[in-house]
Amino acid sequence: MPKRVRMVAQIIVDKCTGCRLCEQVCPTVAIGMRPRRADEPGTGRNIAVLEPEACYNAQACVEICPDDAIEMVELDEPFDVGFELPQVDEDAVKTLCRKAGYGRNMQICVCTDTKAGDIATAIIAGAHSPEAVSLATGARTGCVELCMQPILHLLACAGHGDAPRNPKNGFQWYGESATLWQHVQPDGSLPEAIRNAFPEYPLDKEFGDMAKLKRR
Amino acid sequence: MALLSPFMDALRPPAFHRTWNKREPAKVVAKRAADLPGMTALPIRSLMPDLPQTIWSEDALLGPTNLDEVRRQAQVRAEALDWSKIEAGRMVNLIANPHGLQLCGEAYVTMLEVIAEHVKKTRGAKVRLRIAESMGHIENPDWVKIYRLEERFGDVEECPQMGAGTKVDTKLGDMYVTKKLFDAPYFIHTHVTEMREGYLHRMLDRLMKPFGMAYARLESRSAYHFGFGPRTGQIVSRCIFESDFIQQRYVGTMVLDTTSEGVVSVEADNDLKALDRRLAAGIMRNYAMAMKILGEIEDCVVVFDDHGCGVYCYAGGIAFDNMLCADVDFMDLDNLSLLAAERHDSAEPGLTMGKNNAIKAIVVNYMAGGVPQPFLWDNYPIHVVGDTVNRWMLNDPSNYHFDRAKAPVWPTLDEAVEAACRDGGTDNIIVFDRTPGAFRVSRKLGEHLMSRAPHVRDRVENEFLPKWLRQRGLAL
Ligand code: SF4
Ligand code: SF4
Repeated sequence: MPKRVRMVAQIIVDKCTGCRLCEQVCPTVAIGMRPRRADEPGTGRNIAVLEPEACYNAQACVEICPDDAIEMVELDEPFDVGFELPQVDEDAVKTLCRKAGYGRNMQICVCTDTKAGDIATAIIAGAHSPEAVSLATGARTGCVELCMQPILHLLACAGHGDAPRNPKNGFQWYGESATLWQHVQPDGSLPEAIRNAFPEYPLDKEFGDMAKLKRR
Repeated sequence: MALLSPFMDALRPPAFHRTWNKREPAKVVAKRAADLPGMTALPIRSLMPDLPQTIWSEDALLGPTNLDEVRRQAQVRAEALDWSKIEAGRMVNLIANPHGLQLCGEAYVTMLEVIAEHVKKTRGAKVRLRIAESMGHIENPDWVKIYRLEERFGDVEECPQMGAGTKVDTKLGDMYVTKKLFDAPYFIHTHVTEMREGYLHRMLDRLMKPFGMAYARLESRSAYHFGFGPRTGQIVSRCIFESDFIQQRYVGTMVLDTTSEGVVSVEADNDLKALDRRLAAGIMRNYAMAMKILGEIEDCVVVFDDHGCGVYCYAGGIAFDNMLCADVDFMDLDNLSLLAAERHDSAEPGLTMGKNNAIKAIVVNYMAGGVPQPFLWDNYPIHVVGDTVNRWMLNDPSNYHFDRAKAPVWPTLDEAVEAACRDGGTDNIIVFDRTPGAFRVSRKLGEHLMSRAPHVRDRVENEFLPKWLRQRGLAL
């Protein structure tokens, strides 16, 4: 569920052009901008600045920076995030997980081994946006290829599907992506239009077998 | 054993490249696993003599290494495709993916060049290369530099899936794609047919997979895993591909059809569904032996010695995920085969997978980071070669849990492998070092696999393939 942060980002001032891309993708909003001083080398009016304690070694900024202006540096003293979550009502955690359709112990962020229950705990304790969830749990600070949708979905199920983006024009996340599960009708079947659209997929079996697993 | 010939032992693993985040594994890795005593290369062709001949291979021991036939076939295919949708003077995004570059190198680049030239010449259009990238990019070799793509294509951009996105209206609702891949009036899709992540795509709409993965933004990429069942994730790919947004821009597809040895043909169609149906049976047939023979390993140590990330390290032309799930027939559509990432507490064989009990220990000589693999660190004894590689592993943003493996760090590969074999009570070794066309194995393991080949071939021909094809309404 947690993460030991062993590296943080460092901005290389003379390479940074102040394009703001890093600011738009950092899952913990650890990057902001400041004006470049007249005596500082480099081009562009702004320079990225890092808040090191909010940097969870996600490397999203390194990935997106077009100018090679971010380097990861090893910390002498790594720090842990997400190990201790606030105490909240366990029934509320289970209810939220159930509403979202996830088992409490289902692994959501594989990079940090964060479970659905941990995300739900953070949300109930006041993390009402994806970045607040990341800061509380460490989730979504690795590949993000697996955890993005379930985090958005848990937030939506808790009534926070409309969290404003931070920064406003950022693209750490957009909205929930459509799923097959959302189309399952109360009797457990899928609408005919969907069944007809994908005849080569074993939709009936899939539901039966998944239900078998969920009963365990 | 005639087919374990010294001739094939001359096959070398590809050299390590400098990675995109400036790591130099070639300078850090002192010894390749191919040079461990007693290793041999078990040719996939000796397991499956009727494997189609290649038109391009990375190694001359496997087939032609010159690009003439790839270029010729790509040209023939380009001439047969209908490009009339493309208006003169307008922009076309030629979309490539890193897997093509990793596996087929210059052959893939040659195909891209032929497409770009043909479209420019015959349609008077502008063409730019857009490479779909996922997070694993961080430690990928720097393909743009390695293949001089800027020099060869001019306008080239790697488009990470965490970049800006575009909302796409699909049959199931809103999905998201990477904006920069589709920010032109037209795009061309390219691919290679290799067998990775078969437990995800299940050979259903296989050639559409990038639309739900590499071309998708994180929201939809993640919904593939969490909003669908283990046999239906590919519906994301289908939905995105069939959306109006994509169809308005889509022109055609060209792919390299591959086997473990390299490229066997260049294939193309404007109708992606038709192309997928045409190639699916051959893909399953060409990779079935390599996949299924891995299930015959009773005990072994796995050595990672490749620039892939763990499950995407390659041996014999297939990814390690095939080995990890070798005890499960994940091509069987009756089989749920839930992958490890979504594992519930249950471990009923066939329902969930992610641990192959034949793997007794893993040695990391080198592998890239970027893809989470707790199912390795938690399930197997791990041994690491050298402090630098160990530090790279520990610092990986996606493998925080590597620490949990408490992996001993050995100064040399020989010591690490010896300890892993001792721990695991086995002297069988299989190396994932991206050598094409052959499994790099210890001699005794090679002989065991050869002795099991007739039995596996029989099951592939009479049991697996007929079932896989029947389930998908395909004929061979
Ligand atoms: S993207 Fe990741 S590495 Fe970069 S500043 Fe944010 S948390 Fe740190
Ligand atoms: S992405 Fe790179 S160049 Fe742009 S503001 Fe961030 S550090 Fe500077």
